[in-house]
Amino acid sequence: MTEYRVTLSNRGGAAYMVNGRRPLLEQLRDQGVDLPYGCEYGGCITCAAKLVEGHVDQRRQVALNNRQIENGYVILCVARAVTDITLEIGVESHDKLYRNPFLDPLKPHELKADIATPEDV
Amino acid sequence: MKDCCGPGYSSPQEAIEAPREKLLYTIAIYTGTGIQKPDYLATVDVDPDSPTYSQVIHRLEMPGIGDELHHMGWNACSSCHDDSSMSRKYLILPGVRSNNLHIVDTATDPRAPRLHKVIEGAEIKAKADLSGPHTVHCLGSEIIISFLGNAKGEAPGGYLQLDKDFNIIGRWENSMGDIKFGYDFWYQPRHNIMVSSEWAAPNTFMPGFDLEEVGYLKYGRELHFWDFEKKVPVESFYLGEDGLLPLEVKFHHNPDSTHGFCGAALSTNVIHWWKNEEGKWQWEKIIDVENEIHPEWPIPLPGVMSAILISMDDKYLYLNNWLHGDMRQYDISDPHNPKLTGQVFMGGLLGKAPQVNGVDVAGGPQMFQLSLDGKRLYVTTSLFSTWDNQFYPDIRTKGGVMVQIDCDPVNGGMKINPDFIVDFGQEPNGPSRCHEARYPGGDCTSDIWL
Repeated sequence: MTEYRVTLSNRGGAAYMVNGRRPLLEQLRDQGVDLPYGCEYGGCITCAAKLVEGHVDQRRQVALNNRQIENGYVILCVARAVTDITLEIGVESHDKLYRNPFLDPLKPHELKADIATPEDV
Repeated sequence: MKDCCGPGYSSPQEAIEAPREKLLYTIAIYTGTGIQKPDYLATVDVDPDSPTYSQVIHRLEMPGIGDELHHMGWNACSSCHDDSSMSRKYLILPGVRSNNLHIVDTATDPRAPRLHKVIEGAEIKAKADLSGPHTVHCLGSEIIISFLGNAKGEAPGGYLQLDKDFNIIGRWENSMGDIKFGYDFWYQPRHNIMVSSEWAAPNTFMPGFDLEEVGYLKYGRELHFWDFEKKVPVESFYLGEDGLLPLEVKFHHNPDSTHGFCGAALSTNVIHWWKNEEGKWQWEKIIDVENEIHPEWPIPLPGVMSAILISMDDKYLYLNNWLHGDMRQYDISDPHNPKLTGQVFMGGLLGKAPQVNGVDVAGGPQMFQLSLDGKRLYVTTSLFSTWDNQFYPDIRTKGGVMVQIDCDPVNGGMKINPDFIVDFGQEPNGPSRCHEARYPGGDCTSDIWL
């Protein structure tokens, strides 16, 4: 099975090998990485991390809006690696995850995928 | 008299005359805070004659991280008062995110509750296709719990029924009808009525509040009236702009009354319903909290009334404005014409009370529990981890607080008690956030009379 290297940029560059079949949360926790999580099905953002480099398949997540995706957030409980990746993990990576909606409204293309409208129509 | 009876009290009046509360339970969360510890049930000493008054005296950790404990409910209440085989022994603590239900024994040692059983979230998904548990009510000797989504976190969810030994019976309702969302519910058995309200699908509210999604009808704006015996919804009221995010539902405690109330969180209105002389259910808006202008913000700031509570004598309605920072008391002796009789600020985004009793309040008034005699209101400041993180980012380092407001149940009026404050920013494992509270002997948000 193809293995990918996961580097944690805010854990001193610690690296772990994972397969592309199982979610990153499960595989990293199995190797002793202490990660936050909640629903474990992609419906809440408790386990969000920032993808600094590489690509993941996170088609099963339903929690992120397009602005959060644009800012690099991935939902570790359902995301699978498809290349070697570098992640920033934990709440230290959440600087752009939360916004006050009264101060900083989303544009129509930044909504969640099911209600977003394309940026250039 | 007491020896022959089950839990609770024979009437609301008997509850009012019960001994003063000495202990209080509140949940406290680490989910979403950055601290990798389980959420827990905190026991708070509320006896002013005790050396540990106004302190957390015990912490019961859940078995794992990531539950997001939120609301709680008793295994039995005054609805079982005539059943001497029942007792108010167990507190049920659902995890909104994990779907686990924690059954906690509070009777063996009320100061140090212990975990009795966990119903795993996966078992509930498999047997009942439900997730996102919220409100717990007992129902005679059984228990029903509202869940806001199916196993995939999609609305409207439904109701899980447990037997008195906490085995899953299955779905309580026979139909959800055309209901789009779930949240809170309350029932008034003498009128064969249950009323339920609407928040949103777990997949919508768990990640945080995208205000824009309200316009896309991802959040609720209806109230539903159920035939309680048939377990089917029979009538719905579309509240429109007056009822955006109708959350907490409370009937009068008087079991003969048909009057009930709901706080519409985003509209920041109180909706009142009752049955008229022709036997038809009616509704009206009775309280409308105006938006406030924040000096630096482009959009006017709603109060966000996430909770309401009715005093045991049905005379006062309490509400919060989580973003404005005030708690209010209204005299609802005439439920059509409430009168504002008390108001205090604690935290909030308007800067009116950044500190209470010397402690920084990084949040606003959120959940509250009133003593049975109506004199002491215990108020906490955290709403839900992801929503806290959006509106009150400082709560991550400062944690939640519990404040006591002294209330005058005769003439009206509220003021902060200067001798009481529990600062959850000082917890041994780091700042946690407290939410709903319960008393061992029953409280103003649990008991229903048959």
